[in-house]
Amino acid sequence: MRNLLLVARREYLEQIRGRAFRLSTIGLPSLFVVIVAIAYASSLGLGMHKRLVIASPDPVIANQVRNQLVIGKRRDGAVTVVAPCPPDTRATLINEIRAKTIDGVLWIATPADSRPVVTYISNSAGDFITASRLNNAVNNGLVEAQLAGTGLDSAEARDLANGVSIQTYQVKQNGTIVKSNAEASFWKGYVMAFLLSLTTMIYGMNVARSIIQEKTSRIFEVMLATVKPTEMLAGKLIGVGAVGLTQIAIWLMAAMAIVGTPFASMMLTGQFSLHFSWFEGVLFPVYFVLGYLLYSSLFAGLAATCETEQELQMYMPLAAAPTWLSFALIILIMNDSNSFWSVASSLFPPTAPICMFLRMASETPPAWQFVVSIALLIVSIWATLWFSSRLYRIGILMYGKRATIPELFRWLRYS
Amino acid sequence: MPVVELVAVTKAYEKKLAVDRLSLTIDAGQMFGLLGPNGAGKTSSIRMMMGITLPDSGQVNLFDKPFERRSLDRVGYLPEERGLYKKMKVLDQLIFFGQLRGLHAEEARKRSVEWSKRLEIADALDKKTEELSKGMQQKIQFIGSILHDPKLIVMDEPFSGLDPVNAVLLERTLLELKDKGRAILFSTHRMDQVEKLCDSICLINNGEAVLSGRMREIKNRYERNHVIVEFEGNPAFLASDQIAEAKNFSGHAEIRLKAHGDAQKLLHEASAVATIYRFELVEPSLEEIFIRTVGGGAHA
Repeated sequence: MRNLLLVARREYLEQIRGRAFRLSTIGLPSLFVVIVAIAYASSLGLGMHKRLVIASPDPVIANQVRNQLVIGKRRDGAVTVVAPCPPDTRATLINEIRAKTIDGVLWIATPADSRPVVTYISNSAGDFITASRLNNAVNNGLVEAQLAGTGLDSAEARDLANGVSIQTYQVKQNGTIVKSNAEASFWKGYVMAFLLSLTTMIYGMNVARSIIQEKTSRIFEVMLATVKPTEMLAGKLIGVGAVGLTQIAIWLMAAMAIVGTPFASMMLTGQFSLHFSWFEGVLFPVYFVLGYLLYSSLFAGLAATCETEQELQMYMPLAAAPTWLSFALIILIMNDSNSFWSVASSLFPPTAPICMFLRMASETPPAWQFVVSIALLIVSIWATLWFSSRLYRIGILMYGKRATIPELFRWLRYS
Repeated sequence: MPVVELVAVTKAYEKKLAVDRLSLTIDAGQMFGLLGPNGAGKTSSIRMMMGITLPDSGQVNLFDKPFERRSLDRVGYLPEERGLYKKMKVLDQLIFFGQLRGLHAEEARKRSVEWSKRLEIADALDKKTEELSKGMQQKIQFIGSILHDPKLIVMDEPFSGLDPVNAVLLERTLLELKDKGRAILFSTHRMDQVEKLCDSICLINNGEAVLSGRMREIKNRYERNHVIVEFEGNPAFLASDQIAEAKNFSGHAEIRLKAHGDAQKLLHEASAVATIYRFELVEPSLEEIFIRTVGGGAHA
């Protein structure tokens, strides 16, 4: 036990003192904030910079659609109305698109005996964001124009055309009803799952890299004369895991310090407010530790069979596949967090840590599901450690050539 | 009391028999050489002594008891495949090794400083391992293996990578440790060092002990039919009928006589054509014994 703690302490101190730890502790959250900020800022302005022309024989409809496009938007100078327009205008406008003096033309034809026919012509084939904005604007503009045609006041017509937004409330398990926000819930689940997968993978990889480095530096034989292979592996997992927990603790403390700032109050209020409960605060480190132990013990077994970091990297995408699977299930889980697949994915050990947090974002699952999920994780960690420690104790002394599959089976038998 | 005792130890890896019924004994205060060509089973034998691998059959006794991990606290081990943590500072690394072997951090620090002064590498203590030369790293590894003052020191190729000055420093240190009653086992390809340092040897080939015992007894088993001649003049006497084999290195000749070759006749023949500065009838060197026993195919 003493040696295990000494190995863990060495791993912990060496990684904490390293430049990589300092850079990732400060750099990762900063990078994450910058990415979110850029994504948010660009989503506000997406499709807004286009130079559009709305052409129609009916100036009322054209202007209603234009109004819909520029309502509440910061830029409106780029939407030009050409109405009423003769049919040959279409060819002229297409030439302008070709010459790139404009980005697109929304052509609204109004046949006498049928509904308007709307065409959007542009240089871009995949601009679905602009197409979606135009679709809403055209539908709302046409409704508004028709309502105005019945003699309704233009402001009332606009209100009717724009529709109403639904207020959502959630009934909690204790019976209280609280205001909820599906979008904010989604982002909360996403952020927690992202942080969980990121830290699990980073520290799982650190364990694997540390084993490869020790194998390359031939330190193992010196160590094995004093420390049992299982103690070395356990010490490494504990030491590197403690580094991960330290990093998460630093991030949490930094987050708590930032909560009081004006920037945080801007983020934590309004439509996109993110609230984290103490329950989530407790479960996050629990699922981090379990997820980390599962993946790092798997990575440790893999690393012991490899000769170089490059060789290890070939296996990593395969070993990390359950993480990608968890993210592929986001829409399914957010849509119905109690469906069979949602529950199954939150109990299946390789996907449990991430999927459980995605489910918790919508609704807190029943207690028994947490118990089963954690119990299954513990059993699978034990099983993975059993295999990995057998590969590890033989693999760390094997130098010079890559192990074949039959050799790996023999290693399991030797131990 | 034997410090190490291997009793008919056998180890096979798949179809390859690495060690075959090997038996040997090392006592306190003894310097023991484990010799053999590459792949003979030296490292496999040492790994079983250290509990890194387990024998398929036979028994390993340390300090007069069947092997137990606790006994390793009294063993210092410098393996052939040695390494250090490259990013770690030398002193931190030595303290870590000392702690793993049961020392308190302060005691490990004190001993690390003392040993580094003794082996002339005190300046390296604050450096990272990766900043040191291979020879300096070798000395750090040596200190790491003896920091806890072990009763048994096991070294696999301890002189590889050392320049002549540092090799002598290590030889002296090993002799001092031996004089203090430590049992020392080392494997090496350097026959001159084995001859100079070891009291007993075991020569293994294909996993089997082919020659073992005290150095003097082994040498006495071979007749004195080797002659060293230092001369100036005509080397024609090297074609004498008395000689089975001769090597001439510009005035220094190493000669093996025929089974019934007469050294006195050879001396007469030599002095007739050359000026003789040295004519010495010697026992065969360990290298000669090694080659004769293992055969010319060995790459030791």
